[in-house]
Amino acid sequence: MAVTVDAPSRAPSATINPRKSGRTPRKRVVRWWIYLALLPLAIVIGYFAYYPAVSAIYWSFFNWQPAGTSTFLGFGNYVTMFSDQIWWASFRNLGFIFVFAVVSWILPLLAAELLISLRSARWQYVMRTLLIIPMAFPGVVTALVWGFFYSPNDGVINQTLKALGLGALAQNWTGQNSTALLSLLFVGFPFIAGLPFLIFYSSLQNIPTEVLEAAQLDGVGRFARFWQIDLPLMASQVRILLFLAVVGTLQYGFVAYVLTQGGPDNATMVPILRMINVAFSGGDWGYSAALSTTLFLITIIISAVVVTARKRGSETTDGGAM
Amino acid sequence: MTTIQARKATATRSVTQPDGRSRTSRQIRLKTVLIVLAAVSLAPYLFMIITSFKTNQQFADSFWQISFPLHFENYAVAWNQIAPYLFNTALVAVLSIVLILAIASVSGFVLARYRFLGRGFIYGAVLVLMMVPGLANLIPLFIIMKDLGLLNTYIVLVIPYTAGGVVLGTILIRNFVEGIPQSIFDAARIDGANGARMYRSVMLPLSLPVLGTIALITVSEVWNDFFWPLLVISDNNLRTVSVGLQFFQGQNVTDYGPLMAGYLLASLPLVLLFTFLSKYFLAGVQGGVPGAH
Repeated sequence: MAVTVDAPSRAPSATINPRKSGRTPRKRVVRWWIYLALLPLAIVIGYFAYYPAVSAIYWSFFNWQPAGTSTFLGFGNYVTMFSDQIWWASFRNLGFIFVFAVVSWILPLLAAELLISLRSARWQYVMRTLLIIPMAFPGVVTALVWGFFYSPNDGVINQTLKALGLGALAQNWTGQNSTALLSLLFVGFPFIAGLPFLIFYSSLQNIPTEVLEAAQLDGVGRFARFWQIDLPLMASQVRILLFLAVVGTLQYGFVAYVLTQGGPDNATMVPILRMINVAFSGGDWGYSAALSTTLFLITIIISAVVVTARKRGSETTDGGAM
Repeated sequence: MTTIQARKATATRSVTQPDGRSRTSRQIRLKTVLIVLAAVSLAPYLFMIITSFKTNQQFADSFWQISFPLHFENYAVAWNQIAPYLFNTALVAVLSIVLILAIASVSGFVLARYRFLGRGFIYGAVLVLMMVPGLANLIPLFIIMKDLGLLNTYIVLVIPYTAGGVVLGTILIRNFVEGIPQSIFDAARIDGANGARMYRSVMLPLSLPVLGTIALITVSEVWNDFFWPLLVISDNNLRTVSVGLQFFQGQNVTDYGPLMAGYLLASLPLVLLFTFLSKYFLAGVQGGVPGAH
């Protein structure tokens, strides 16, 4: 976009231009105020996003004492990490959390399919609104209310079981190894109010009516339509969701902190909580930086894989209807 | 009433889309399933609302039913404790929004409308951050803030929200501004507008919807974020809602009525925003998907 360059902008450009002109064949005027306009952005992301990430990598090789002198350890912190049972157990929990999250998409998918099948637009609108209302509540409120449900004495679940004469089934839901993690995962049941539902619903809405009409003429039933039309057309969205589920799982932690603090006996420990505990309770900042760096690298690698897969995918499907 | 209308609608439509069989009965089953799903989703919140009006005695007698008289004084009790948290959260949210919109609108505009050396590099640097969750920076950022002596201030809360919001904001605004027809900017230039004037008089008024979306995402982020305020704020007067509520829960473990009233009060601002601006909210949720750009 060629904007008339006013006089003051030419003065500094003259000093920079000779250096740049070797690289760019066309003669270009460097408009310094463009860089000035981007300066706040550069400062904010440079100092508060890139610099911390880089400093975490740097300090992960030290016995980091933020207030005192740090000694260089080489890969010592990473060696410690490989024998850290709690850390790896927390990844086992993450694996479980991820599988549970993906399997639980069945419910939002079911809800979206049911919703799109409603023929009354008003019903669709009302039901959609009701189904997504829980999204409006702060996550901590949802977690605390569910915590209240789970509480061993006055908790709604145990009280209900007792009222039904099933008092024997009452458990200390979040306080015992066998049920703690599953209890955490059921927070927010039936998981409809969330991004997966919104994405399923909007991609179902975006299926061209011609496709559906053609299918109907061919005598494709509702279930066949789901397998042969809905799912294939949602494939690219599902890939994004999978990526988000991985990133979301790696960040999982605050529900665990609010309800169990990682306990009992580390049964609900997750990497974020381990990282925080190591730093703030153990005072081992260097080791915590190593854990933070590891999480960071895992996220970057997964993102890179997904982005390249998406690029390849979009190249082959460019001619498609989506 | 609505059911009858819905049935009529299905009856008329099934003429145009002959599929045979009784479509109406199937829709009733469908609606039942959906209503059950919605009821289960909303049950914890309904429970919260019902309990917020009860005394402990009423709660012990029946916890799912509404019982009279309603005890509105629970809300007065809860408000005294929750109000400072709400104020802090609102203040942090407003400060973050102002900073984010100021920085991101300028950057997004420049990145969308100008060609210059390093443009791809700068935008790439922003996009990469979209892929990296802020939690990965928790530990080093904490030390940076500690060294700057910013712990237990409002600024320490505003900074990471601004850093995160600027990333998403720049991307959303850039994509939005790229969609504005070039002819509008050309017309402005012919009328003698320079870059700053085009930003102020053409781009900003047109981008109001996306600016609103970014503001809403920020409010929701500030309201929901947990670990950062947990670590950097120890002064109860500065706590934001999410961490404050956990403290509040510890103070009122056995007073169920005020406890639930407090939860509801803490949710109310977000629920109201969501109700009246759900279109922008949902646009934000879906526009904020990394990898979708």
